[in-house]
Amino acid sequence: MFDPSPLQRQIIESPLDSRLFVSGVAGTGKTTTGVERVRFLLAQGIPADSILLLTPQRTLQEPYLDLLESPERQPGGEVTSATIGGLARRMCDLFWSYAAEQAGFKKPHQPPVFLTLETAQYFMAHLVRPLIEERGYFESVTINRNRLYSQVIDNLNKAAVVGFPHTEIGTRLDSAWFGDPAQRRVYADAQECASLFRQYCLDNNLLDFSLQLEIFTNILWQNEQVRSYLTGTYRHLVYDNVEEDVPRSHDLIREWLPDFDSALLLFDQAAGYRNFLGGDSASGWELSGWCDQVVEWNESFVSSENVINLSNQLVSAITNSELPPPAGETPAMEFILTHFHPEMLDDTMKKIAGLIEAGMPPAEIVVLAPYLSDSLRFSVANRLEAAGIPWRTNRPSRSLRDEPASKTLLTLSALAHPDWQAHPPKFDVAHALMVALDTDLVRAQLLTEIIYHPRDLRLSTFDEIKPETQERITYALGERYSILRNWLEDYRASEPLPLDFFLRKMFGEVISQPGYGFHINLDAVRVAASLVESVRKFRNAMEPIQWEGFDLGREYIAMLADGVIAAQYLESWRSEDKDAVLIAPAYTFLMMNRPASVQFWLDPGSEGWSQRVSQPLTQPFVLSRHWQPGRIWMDSDEVQVEIETLSRLVGGLLARCREKVFLALSDLGESGFEQRGALLRSFQKVLVNQENHE
Amino acid sequence: MTPAFIPRPSQEQILRYTGGRLGIAAVPGAGKTHILSALAAKIIQEGRLGDGQELLIVTLVNSAVDNFETRIKYFFDNPIQVLYKYRVRTLHGLAHDIVREKPSKVGLEERFSIIDEREAGFIRRESVNAWLANHSLDDYLDPTLETSKRDWVKRGQLPDMVDSLALAFIRSAKDRLLTPEKLRAKLDASFSPLPLAELGWSIYADYQRALAYRGAVDFDDLIRLALTLLESDEEFLARLQYRYPYILEDEAQDSSQTQERILSLLSGGSLPSPLGRGVGGEVGNWVRVGDPNQAIFETFTTASPELLRAFIRENPSVDMPESGRSQPAVIALANHLIDWVMNAHPIPEARTALSIPYIQPVPEGYQPVNPPDAPEAVKFISTRYTPDQELEAVTKSVKHYVDGLAETPIEAQPTIAILVPRNQRGVEVVNELRARGIEPIELISSTSETRAAAGSLSHLLAYLADPGSARKLSKAYEVWRRDWREQGVVNGEEEDTKGDSELLKKVSDLLRRMTNVETFIAPHQAEDWLSALGESEAEHVIVELSKFRVNVQRWLNAVTLPIDQLILTLAQDVFSNTSDLALSHKLALVLRKAADDHADWRLPELTAELVVIAKNERRFIGFADDDSGFDPERHRGRVVVTTMHKAKGMEWDRVYLMSVNNYDFPSNMSNDRFISEKWFIRSGLNLEAEALAQLNALESNSEYDGYEEGTATLSARLDYVKERLRLFYVGMTRAKKDLIVTWNSGRQGDATPSLAMSELMGWWEK
Repeated sequence: MFDPSPLQRQIIESPLDSRLFVSGVAGTGKTTTGVERVRFLLAQGIPADSILLLTPQRTLQEPYLDLLESPERQPGGEVTSATIGGLARRMCDLFWSYAAEQAGFKKPHQPPVFLTLETAQYFMAHLVRPLIEERGYFESVTINRNRLYSQVIDNLNKAAVVGFPHTEIGTRLDSAWFGDPAQRRVYADAQECASLFRQYCLDNNLLDFSLQLEIFTNILWQNEQVRSYLTGTYRHLVYDNVEEDVPRSHDLIREWLPDFDSALLLFDQAAGYRNFLGGDSASGWELSGWCDQVVEWNESFVSSENVINLSNQLVSAITNSELPPPAGETPAMEFILTHFHPEMLDDTMKKIAGLIEAGMPPAEIVVLAPYLSDSLRFSVANRLEAAGIPWRTNRPSRSLRDEPASKTLLTLSALAHPDWQAHPPKFDVAHALMVALDTDLVRAQLLTEIIYHPRDLRLSTFDEIKPETQERITYALGERYSILRNWLEDYRASEPLPLDFFLRKMFGEVISQPGYGFHINLDAVRVAASLVESVRKFRNAMEPIQWEGFDLGREYIAMLADGVIAAQYLESWRSEDKDAVLIAPAYTFLMMNRPASVQFWLDPGSEGWSQRVSQPLTQPFVLSRHWQPGRIWMDSDEVQVEIETLSRLVGGLLARCREKVFLALSDLGESGFEQRGALLRSFQKVLVNQENHE
Repeated sequence: MTPAFIPRPSQEQILRYTGGRLGIAAVPGAGKTHILSALAAKIIQEGRLGDGQELLIVTLVNSAVDNFETRIKYFFDNPIQVLYKYRVRTLHGLAHDIVREKPSKVGLEERFSIIDEREAGFIRRESVNAWLANHSLDDYLDPTLETSKRDWVKRGQLPDMVDSLALAFIRSAKDRLLTPEKLRAKLDASFSPLPLAELGWSIYADYQRALAYRGAVDFDDLIRLALTLLESDEEFLARLQYRYPYILEDEAQDSSQTQERILSLLSGGSLPSPLGRGVGGEVGNWVRVGDPNQAIFETFTTASPELLRAFIRENPSVDMPESGRSQPAVIALANHLIDWVMNAHPIPEARTALSIPYIQPVPEGYQPVNPPDAPEAVKFISTRYTPDQELEAVTKSVKHYVDGLAETPIEAQPTIAILVPRNQRGVEVVNELRARGIEPIELISSTSETRAAAGSLSHLLAYLADPGSARKLSKAYEVWRRDWREQGVVNGEEEDTKGDSELLKKVSDLLRRMTNVETFIAPHQAEDWLSALGESEAEHVIVELSKFRVNVQRWLNAVTLPIDQLILTLAQDVFSNTSDLALSHKLALVLRKAADDHADWRLPELTAELVVIAKNERRFIGFADDDSGFDPERHRGRVVVTTMHKAKGMEWDRVYLMSVNNYDFPSNMSNDRFISEKWFIRSGLNLEAEALAQLNALESNSEYDGYEEGTATLSARLDYVKERLRLFYVGMTRAKKDLIVTWNSGRQGDATPSLAMSELMGWWEK
């Protein structure tokens, strides 16, 4: 059972009318206190549905959800766990008619369509593609189309979360720019696309994230009725990771605070990892002025002395300050050095296996990298799997569209809808039959060669095959094929269904039946469900828009192939097995609100640890609230940001590390290049420092 | 390991360098890499680098990067002393480092990709074809061509010609930092019509759009963008200037104007540097080593040896004239070639092709010692061979020579090379050698290791793409057991490995003869190939087959994974060697990118891509270890066939130079023909040169400097003549002891020995 420190107890059990602001770095027990405060509130008989749990991002709620979903919980109302975005969406839905009129939607009497990131991307592509192709927009940038669309969307989001009119995006970006004048044009292009998109949304009742947030904060929250609804519903606030949230969220809470009976705000002054998403710790800190009491915690419950010392040395090295003397006999860091990358992964696995053998719980081990390519994720996971070590990761190493199960479903969909004019190659059909009919590839291919006619999409019958070949294919397989074929033929002859209906029907009536590939294959079922969900959301977004000749299924598949729709897993992918080694990008780990005993840092030479993401069409710092208008973004700003980013990241990771960090470094990186980023150079300084003190 | 390094007097002078600019003209075999490594080590040892500073070494090819690394480390006992104190990069690598720091500043996204030359070639070809489909070049075709011939030219000849024109044009435009947009503006402002520049622009613009669509840049863009960044961001430049207080540049004769500008900016140049410099004051510390006489180029480049010559003239300089490579007779010949070109070449404008210093042997008491004088080992064969006869004569001679080595222990055998002017001729030589029972080594840009790993994987993929094929399954089995086969080759005599290779043969035979693969892979009661086999075959064969089957089943199940994950799965099963695994990982990333770029590609196309990598038609950057270049010493007693261009930087005991006639080595005499002047183009214009001249005209502001048709064709001839003189010089100076030079009368039968060959032949007889 958790035993709080006196300081924590004071917060947890503080009066039901207190507004507290607790600040402290990671590891000082803030989130634990937050969770216990919720438990305490509930134990005091506070109705669950009057408690609002707010975090900047859903993953940060994990420790709270463990409590809220635990069986010990009394039945009754639910605690509302939300992000500002979630709240905004709910309010727009609830108060639509008022919002629609005020915001200037063209059809206020028709229901709104809420866009996901995918569907927003889809509409953006629809609007911007012709501008690129026919009018030469964005000619001077080299960027993948889909990321271009998403950066335009990102600009709109920035305007909404920071709180400036979206019409100022272009001028703000432009005024901070210097350099090759050819680049300047792209900001004007980006502005035009953003405005175009916004207008399209207003014309068609579409609400992307930015519009939801703007309507919520600028219109609904200003409305007496809406405000009293919210303040009446929620009487108690627990707001964790205030430093990661966006300025508009902070504004809202500042105005709301006086109305809460009690509030607990938790703030990490050393963090602030989401500034590329608009997170703003400075505006978060201002909330402390609106609380009754501000408490500061310094003592770490997590990191050992040695880890703290390493952190101090490393941060000094990064910020070019004098390094403190190294402490302790047992250094808190250890290098794993190899020449090649896979070798480094092997050695890392051996280390992990050794740790587990020595009794360390897998959950106490995390494997972190600045950036996890699918291949790297797959390689690490594979090795852990082979060693029999349980592992988990924040998302699968394949996007939904790359999953064999969804590829199978989509190929079969194309076969069922000849009017799409999608002619799957024989390969795809053979692979689909292998998965769907649960057979081997040799027979699946043999069968496909004979029965599938790509040109007219005809599927001939098993009976038409020569007897000796039938025998090779086996009659059992022939029978499964015949059932599937007949089902497809029947479907072709009937009125087509929307794609998600079709998928469900085919799944239920054929391929989940005994003998077929989706029968009791839980992974495949999970993938199928996610795919159906993705299609459904796409259909919901598209239904109100009546484009001529638009075929939902064909369009969905085309967009999927184009990458406009990434078809990521829509549900946040929570692995059930908690006692497992975590593989994750470093920032994802920071956003999970959990410490670990041992951390493995893969590729410490990578520039990815310190460099901000390069986005030619947007700029998080220039668009932030603190940017002085008219200032130019110089190289020294860049360097400053790099130093700050890296020292925050390193401080944050080590604050979540109990015992030791392993640095797994290969001379040649994943792609075969030598890597020598700022983090590695800082480690070199620490090494020299240690040598000097010996 | 390298023997202790004792610098020669001329080298010592270089080691006394403390700062500022220094130009060094070296001769072939002078040991440039060695002295630069020693200088780098000295600068580091003397503690001349501050906090966060690195010594920058810029070199030409990836393999040299590794060379430097090894040599510099050799000077230190403790690796931590040199850790991150220096950085060795090719110009592309350096440009990549620079751009990588601030991609969005030049309009690139985070994970921009770099396409290699082959992919770039594909994209360019598409743009060329699109242009040809909508435009005509009729104005430039020879008007006397018959209609049927004209059509044939249009279909068969123009695409290649326009393609190489486009390559040169795009490369040149990028070298001048001209984007399609800027170029368009200049074209619009131009007074005179410039049809070839219009053509170039059109293809360039199209090509660049295609790159942008993929979120990719090509190698030339990398350099262009790096320079753009340095020129537009003063603070960033100052930061880099601080980081690299010393720049050492190798092979500087191959430097282009852009490269020179980049290094000049980085080394301080004339720009004020707010952060202050190390030793050496304002001009910056920049040492350039090169041999202008070895500036040879296989494809179009904007590089020119004049740049290094000018640098050497205008700055403090030192010569490195001593070379321990060749025997005195070869040295004398090479020096005479310099002499003759400089003073007596019948075309006065060609006399700048070569320059002094002359080559001098290594002084007594220093290493290495030149081979002993042997004038009889140099032979100019004056016989007028046809191309076929030349092949026969040379290969016969080689055969005879190699046969004579049978009794010599391998370590005492000489190294041998046949050098040809063009790839195609190399292929003919290889075939002829094979016909005579000699297996030559074809020298290609990267090593056999890449090819072996990629080749193995491509066999597995080929099977997975056609899983019913017993033949491919058998091949996959051989790949799976490749270790056995390799051991068999290395130590075939040993008992147990002999057993392995017999089993390997047996099992692969059985697999190949199987009729229905599914009865092995996924047997049913009625049809089970393996259990039926159990009645006739020994148990260890059955055990081996069962083991293999487990693997194949796993592979077949992995076939629906994304290609990168499939490759990784296969690699884990077939490779144990770490460099193979590392390569596989890289191949996985490369193929994943290919699959993303080509949504319609399936296993057969991806396998084909891998085959291309395996055959090494594709430049594969990265993996310094794998790319460690070609070391002739490792192939004693074997015959290496390669082009004179690719032979740069290497040496052999015995060297044959073939086809030294006036077709491959013209001298601008009246009977010379030029490859770039196509017979179907009117007035014998060299359209590539003319297009570049039009680009040039756009850049100039003076109206008197305008474009005049034909001038460029003539001056391109001259450039070619000069390059060919240097090529001959490079070819000759590859030889340590024996040098045999032959020529042939060409396909039309009217070629003569090249002028330089005739001259040397005459001089040598005297």
